[in-house]
Amino acid sequence: MSLQMKMEDMSLSGLDNSKLEAIAHEIYTELVEDACLGLCFEVHRAVKCGYFFLDDTDPDSMKDFEIVDQPGVDIFGQVYNQWKNKECVCPNCSRSIAASRFAPHLEKCLGMGRNSSRIANRRIASSNNLNKSESDQEDNDDINDNDWSYGSEKKAKKRKSDKNPNSPRRSKSLKHKNGEIGGNPDPFKYSNSAGINYETLGPEELRTLLTTQCGVISEHTKKMCTRSLRCPQHTDEQRRAVRVYLLGPSASLPEAEGGVENDSFEVAESQALMSRLQWDGSSDISPSDSASSKASTNNSESRKTKKKKPHLGLVSGAPGLGSSKKKKPKPPAPHTPSIYDDIN
Amino acid sequence: MNKDAQMRATINQKLIETGERERLKELLRAKLIECGWKDQLKAHCKDVIKEKGLEHVTVDDLVAEITPKGRALVPDSVKKELLQRIRTFLAQHA
Repeated sequence: MSLQMKMEDMSLSGLDNSKLEAIAHEIYTELVEDACLGLCFEVHRAVKCGYFFLDDTDPDSMKDFEIVDQPGVDIFGQVYNQWKNKECVCPNCSRSIAASRFAPHLEKCLGMGRNSSRIANRRIASSNNLNKSESDQEDNDDINDNDWSYGSEKKAKKRKSDKNPNSPRRSKSLKHKNGEIGGNPDPFKYSNSAGINYETLGPEELRTLLTTQCGVISEHTKKMCTRSLRCPQHTDEQRRAVRVYLLGPSASLPEAEGGVENDSFEVAESQALMSRLQWDGSSDISPSDSASSKASTNNSESRKTKKKKPHLGLVSGAPGLGSSKKKKPKPPAPHTPSIYDDIN
Repeated sequence: MNKDAQMRATINQKLIETGERERLKELLRAKLIECGWKDQLKAHCKDVIKEKGLEHVTVDDLVAEITPKGRALVPDSVKKELLQRIRTFLAQHA
């Protein structure tokens, strides 16, 4: 009992703040002394075991590795952008290049590295494109079709004279300059419009492309449609016509319809073909109209309306397809696939 | 006086029983190392030992030299924090 009372007394009387504070300080002092004692034991043991002075170095080394605390310098005393303004001499071209630009310059200079090969390929392709469009049309038909090599047009308008003067529509189509193409300096880039410039592709590439893509050449942009083979904007007939145009009369479509027959060329058939390939101004998006079986009406329209539209070579060569210079290496005319037999 | 002594004894007992004393000890040690107190004191020890001679230094010597300096060198922030924790403990358990 008395003990309990004492305990109560203690708990109640102990609530005196100053006493509590004093007790707190006492406890604190004890803790600090404990820490000091701990350190002393540690040091004493180190001294007696002989490892206390092991981490000391001579004053010279100590000075060497002293922490540096100056502005503009890190704690080791090194300057941050010491080499920024330095210039190096390129061992290849012996030019003086800024240090930060040295690595990329060397990459281009030596011709190694990823980008440099890409750029080189592009340059070759562009120079090929320019050269071929100037030369006579004895070479590759696909690439060398001057009607549609708008890449060369962009570069130098004076090349108009180099193109085939025979075709009746030449001048008109040349005058017509599509704004999009004018603004595109790089003909074989897959630029803003979602299409491909087919004149820059070789026959093999074209073939591969055409087996997977729609490929119909848009009138406005002279580019091939990159949508799927079932793209709703163009009809199968258009696709077929494009394939025939690009790959030659013996080109087979990806759908592999009953084989293409090499029939003798009939003017009517070619006209029907041309009408399909040619779309009057506004009806670009609705190819069904132009590709309808109203061959005659379309044909007459195309004859009369001498619009400034780019035409495929077939169209312009309507009256004298056989005599067209461009088509020399090919058989005299594109052979229409079997589907056109229905029309006739 | 007896009461005080007894009270202190009780409190100490409580500190130990709850493990608070150990926790406080560890906290203090960590803080002193952080603030560099330990290194300072060790440097002082070196001086003392060089003075007294490596072979003949005793624990008592060290304690006598180090403890007053150690007590003085504790930074205020550490002291305040520790006192705060002790007061909290006392408030809870007193």
